[in-house]
Amino acid sequence: MFDIELTRHLAQLSKFNFSEEQLKVMSDEMADIVALMDTVSEFESDEKLACDNAVGFEDLREDKVVESFERESILQNAKGRGETYFKVPKVV
Amino acid sequence: MNEPCKCSVKELSQQLKDKKISVRELTEVFLKRIKSEADKTNSFLTVCDQLAFKQAEAAQKIIDSGNGSVLTGIPFGIKDNICTQNVKTTCASKMLEDFIPPYNATVVERLLKNNIVILGKNNMDEFAMGGSSQTSYFGGVKNPYNLSCVTGGSSGGSAAAVAAGLCPVSLGSDTGGSVRQPASFCGVTGLKPTYGAVSRYGLIAFASSLDQIGPIARSAEDCGIVLSAIAGKDANDSTSQHVSDVDYCSKLGNSLKGLTIGLPKEFFDDGVDNDVKTAVLDAAKRYEEMGCTIKQVSLPSLKFAVASYYLISSAEAASNLSRYDGIKFGYRSTNGETYEEIIQNTRVEAFGDEVKRRIMLGNYALSSGYYDAYYNKAVKIKARIKDEYNQIFKTCDCILTPTAPTVAYKIGQQENDPVKMYTSDICTVTVNIAGLPAISTTCGYDKSGMPIGMSIVGRAFDEATIISVADAFEKNFERKGAEI
Repeated sequence: MFDIELTRHLAQLSKFNFSEEQLKVMSDEMADIVALMDTVSEFESDEKLACDNAVGFEDLREDKVVESFERESILQNAKGRGETYFKVPKVV
Repeated sequence: MNEPCKCSVKELSQQLKDKKISVRELTEVFLKRIKSEADKTNSFLTVCDQLAFKQAEAAQKIIDSGNGSVLTGIPFGIKDNICTQNVKTTCASKMLEDFIPPYNATVVERLLKNNIVILGKNNMDEFAMGGSSQTSYFGGVKNPYNLSCVTGGSSGGSAAAVAAGLCPVSLGSDTGGSVRQPASFCGVTGLKPTYGAVSRYGLIAFASSLDQIGPIARSAEDCGIVLSAIAGKDANDSTSQHVSDVDYCSKLGNSLKGLTIGLPKEFFDDGVDNDVKTAVLDAAKRYEEMGCTIKQVSLPSLKFAVASYYLISSAEAASNLSRYDGIKFGYRSTNGETYEEIIQNTRVEAFGDEVKRRIMLGNYALSSGYYDAYYNKAVKIKARIKDEYNQIFKTCDCILTPTAPTVAYKIGQQENDPVKMYTSDICTVTVNIAGLPAISTTCGYDKSGMPIGMSIVGRAFDEATIISVADAFEKNFERKGAEI
């Protein structure tokens, strides 16, 4: 059952800082969406199926050192930066 | 000489080769049309005048030297989730409103090696999540056939731009139908290649096991021309396959006599509009007249497809979009004291509602206590659907279905109802789940003149067959032009 507490838990996992009002709206919407997803419970699985969503990684490229991006091109899109680093609020 | 804005890539290429028009003149024609008409559809987010003229100059030199390819000098639109170096790439989101990629996507690099001209970046559903192109942070896209109707999505800007004659071709992306469905709604042709045929490097990720870049153009032949240039192994995408140097137009003009086309009965039930069913079944009759055998087949697991698709794609999206935290690039909230607060507020402020819903759904499907019942089950359904398609292809060369259950609907009619939107993807998602190629082309118009699309689905890496099958229909079908 999709309730506010589950919504709050998922919001935390999703790194969303919802207000109580936003949580209520999201909870109602998710209840409808999950009801559609519940269709899968009617599927009877076959043990013989290759149940694997992994994509095949073939022909991995050679592990050699090549030119990377210029530092400035990597920093250019950051909202908080020093001359050679990303600037963030205190972590600890 | 036909008016350039109504010409195919092939026709324009010939005009450039025959010196009936220069690359600069061609570029000017399209840029002028974009300036006067693009606002009506809101199909472009960025227009690259200066870059386009620079590229036009370079392309003309190549043509003059006699070394041009069929794509040299051809103007392109590019969906705004495909990275273009030094050109804003927003994914139609506040999160990337001013993001400027430091590199080109591989597909862009390959097209630039052919000296194309990039006219601009096309509008779309935010982060490619949607089927209407109305979730864009920069305003929804309008259908050139009826400006009060949606374009479909998420590559709605690309489809609308081609339909409105603002560019002869655009690159879109397809995760659950996002090239084919807008092509259907806008009366043009859109191709989703086999998963792995085209590199995803530089495509801003939505669902990595499903995403594919594909062309939207005025014809199947044009789609084949573009695919030939962009497909092939890429060292930067380990899921890409060795399919370079394939001429996807090699079967054009071949007789279809003896070809078996499957019609899965589940795609023609009550959920599909009568006008759509009639148009697609009429197309099947035309294929019979061309010497094809039409065979009734079945895809019994279709009823689980939408749920399976949304669980898998949302789970992958939840992971892929966790990179948007405001730290290294993109929007950063000014609210919050701590690192954690900045990240959370950034994501709440800068993602739209649909994106948030999908991330929540994805984390739900992957979370402890629900993983087995939802994500794992969805993966089992995926395996079953793949198996059912394999069974069909034992006796059929390709499969014919409607591209969408309806034609383009009025803006505001259903985009605010997520469940209704998700179930509308029923005709397209199984192709992505199975990793197969499919092409949508216009097969009719409903009573109000809105385009109806049909999809031809092929075996893995058999794009050449489905392109030729679509082309055979197009050569004998007269399309109606869009309102603008």
